[in-house]
Amino acid sequence: MTSFTTFYLGQILGKRVVDADGRYLGIVKDLLVDSDSTEESALHPQVRGIKLKFKKQITVYSFDNFKIEKISDKIKVICTQLTELPSNQTNRNLYLVDSILDKQIVDVNGRKLVRVNDVRLVTLVNGTFALAVDIGIEGLIRRIGFVKPVKSVLALFNKTVPAKFILWEDVEAVDFSSLNIKLSKTFAKLQTLHPSDLADIIEDLGKKASADVFQALDEEQAADVMEELEVETQIHLIESLPIEKVADVLELMPADEVADILDALEDDKAELLLNEMEKDSSQEVRELLDYPARSVGSIMSTELISFDENKTIREVLDELRRIKPETETLYNLFVTDPNEVLIATFSIRDVVISDPDATVKQIMKPSPVHLHNYQKIDDIAEIVSKYNLLAIPVVDWNNVLQGMVVIDDIIDDLMNKRRTNK
Amino acid sequence: MFKNKRTFFKQLGLFLAILGPGIITGSVDNDAGGITTYSVAGAVYGYNLLWTLIPAFIVLMVIQEMNARMGIVTGKGLADLIRENAGVKVTFFIFVGLLIADIGNTTTEFAGVAGSMEVFGVSKYISVPIVGLMVWVLVVKGTYQIAERIFLIFSVSLLMYVVSAIMGKPHWGEIAHSMVHPQMEINGKSMAMVIGIIGTTIAPWMQFYMQSAVIEKGLKMKHYRYMLLDIIIGCLATVVVAFFIIVACASTLHENGIVINEAKDAALALKPLAGALASQAFAFGLFIASIFSATILPLATAFYVCEAFGFEAGINKKWDEAKEFYVLYTSILIIGAAIILIPGAPLIIISLWSQVVNGMLLPVVLICMILLVNNKKIMGKYVNKPINNIIGWSAVVVLVSLSAVMLLMPLFNK
Repeated sequence: MTSFTTFYLGQILGKRVVDADGRYLGIVKDLLVDSDSTEESALHPQVRGIKLKFKKQITVYSFDNFKIEKISDKIKVICTQLTELPSNQTNRNLYLVDSILDKQIVDVNGRKLVRVNDVRLVTLVNGTFALAVDIGIEGLIRRIGFVKPVKSVLALFNKTVPAKFILWEDVEAVDFSSLNIKLSKTFAKLQTLHPSDLADIIEDLGKKASADVFQALDEEQAADVMEELEVETQIHLIESLPIEKVADVLELMPADEVADILDALEDDKAELLLNEMEKDSSQEVRELLDYPARSVGSIMSTELISFDENKTIREVLDELRRIKPETETLYNLFVTDPNEVLIATFSIRDVVISDPDATVKQIMKPSPVHLHNYQKIDDIAEIVSKYNLLAIPVVDWNNVLQGMVVIDDIIDDLMNKRRTNK
Repeated sequence: MFKNKRTFFKQLGLFLAILGPGIITGSVDNDAGGITTYSVAGAVYGYNLLWTLIPAFIVLMVIQEMNARMGIVTGKGLADLIRENAGVKVTFFIFVGLLIADIGNTTTEFAGVAGSMEVFGVSKYISVPIVGLMVWVLVVKGTYQIAERIFLIFSVSLLMYVVSAIMGKPHWGEIAHSMVHPQMEINGKSMAMVIGIIGTTIAPWMQFYMQSAVIEKGLKMKHYRYMLLDIIIGCLATVVVAFFIIVACASTLHENGIVINEAKDAALALKPLAGALASQAFAFGLFIASIFSATILPLATAFYVCEAFGFEAGINKKWDEAKEFYVLYTSILIIGAAIILIPGAPLIIISLWSQVVNGMLLPVVLICMILLVNNKKIMGKYVNKPINNIIGWSAVVVLVSLSAVMLLMPLFNK
């Protein structure tokens, strides 16, 4: 006998299982594999159980006494002894048919959803393991049962059926909507994805799966992902998750983004969320929400840093190190008088190349281009392109600095405008 | 008072925002194949088959409501759900069938383009390639959304059939009488006509289209009432247009004993009977309907096939990212248009066979749908109510037995 046997899940589903004497024990319905995300089992989860159907009775047995044999391409499932699997084992693990086969899973390397046509497994001396998922056309044709004729026809033209596998370590099952139980899964492999990619994946998932995946993210990551989602998905997630969780995520997002989301929600729901959020976060959002639609104030970012003109560069740097601002905030620095009236701007470049003992006054650019908070946003694009700006300060009628509009925010708006014009 | 007015406008605004899936689906429903079937039914059987529109309306509405509900609850397309719950083999059967039927249907749409343009004196060797290329560019160059809206506005032109019908001076008394008290011979031919009417009104691919449209709109369960209204209006539009096409042909062609095979024949035959305006209105409606469906049908088909088998799909993807999708889409379009250009192509046989495949497919898709929508794991508390199941299952039983009778009848007659 060879030391290992490889086979496909599709090949053993529906197979008759016999014992050593050839007695019929049932047909194969599903396999159960390890699902805890410890290093080893994430690489190659071991098959722990097998679901058999015998005279309309479905039972899950331990896989220990089962053997898969492949004799001249014929697969046989043999069982030496039936041992029922305790229910604490069945609940914790992953059913291949229920959650993987024919479902969409995340291809972590390709950063997208793929549909699983089959699962490739291997039997070694120490057990049976899931190796890879088959997402190629070959798997599809094999499942339908045409693989031999198709292969022999293509062989005439010297062609083969394209096969495509993804190793188990690079996939993450996400869709458990065919199960009734609530899984507390960590989706550890998804944590490595960029928030934009993750957002794209979540948008493509069904309603239940998208909420499951989102809920499993930690708050920081959830906030980053939430920012990148389309408004329909944002609303769906907010409405299907517990309000406390949503409020925690929103607190970590920039106030202008939160205001955009709350604007799209129903008033009652938005109010509920604002009350649940911490006071200082919600206060900022409320101010933004009070601005009329399509005014500069409604899209501006209120996270910015301003300095007194008499500060030295050293003090500025110390201050920045203490605050640790986001990139966007860091690149655009402002100068205000004690009444918060906007006087000038300066850039992080000027800070870096200047003498630490110089004062802000020496490097700042006075009377900067600015916007009024009640101005219409339609003017912004022109100003940005005319003055080559990355960000524009926003002031009220008394010239008190209120926020800034970053080029990023208007790009979204301009693209939306084009889309709605279509 | 003021407050009430405000809530009224708020509700109206909500409705207009949600408006769409049902009404677009309803408009696409009256495609070239549909217009042909209704015209022939009217010309051959007069007012006697008008009653079929009533059960067709009810079944259409019940089915679309199930689609919309599934879309709202799961956020997944029908193709996804079938693949995930019915496995590869059933999926394969459905989608091979859908592909064949839809290539046939696309051919019918181009036949509609060719026929309607011939009424205006444009040769099919000019109209079909131009329209085919236009449709392809429209979709691949990504201006589909604009196109959809233009078509939606144009689909108002389907009301042209009301003009055509009234100009034919129909006998309203007879119409009312035959709606309540239909008289018809039961034989293989009339049976096929009934299946044809129901089959073209409830085409299988519409179910997939409806569900995706609902998902794309991002609708929620709290919008359910508006969505239902949208569906009812869409279904009403479908049967009202069908009604007037049948009436237009019945009150002119049938009474003069004129036999037609194609919708184009109807347009031409209307001219001496009801005037040039009625004829042109009929042809224009046919043209718009054909071009609308020729845009959506190949696109939708390519999309669902890719969705079911896990290929990348969508018009927002680049050619290299979604090669299978674009190749499939282009092939359906080219095959559909090319068949029309073959001199002496057996168009009637093609359209007949695509209807037969549609007829066989419909019960399978319906059974899948009813099983899915009753699955508690998928639908939670939004599973079907008994009344949906009764109507749904009776539709399946009636359709299956009608199809079986139609397919078996020739065997006994010969």
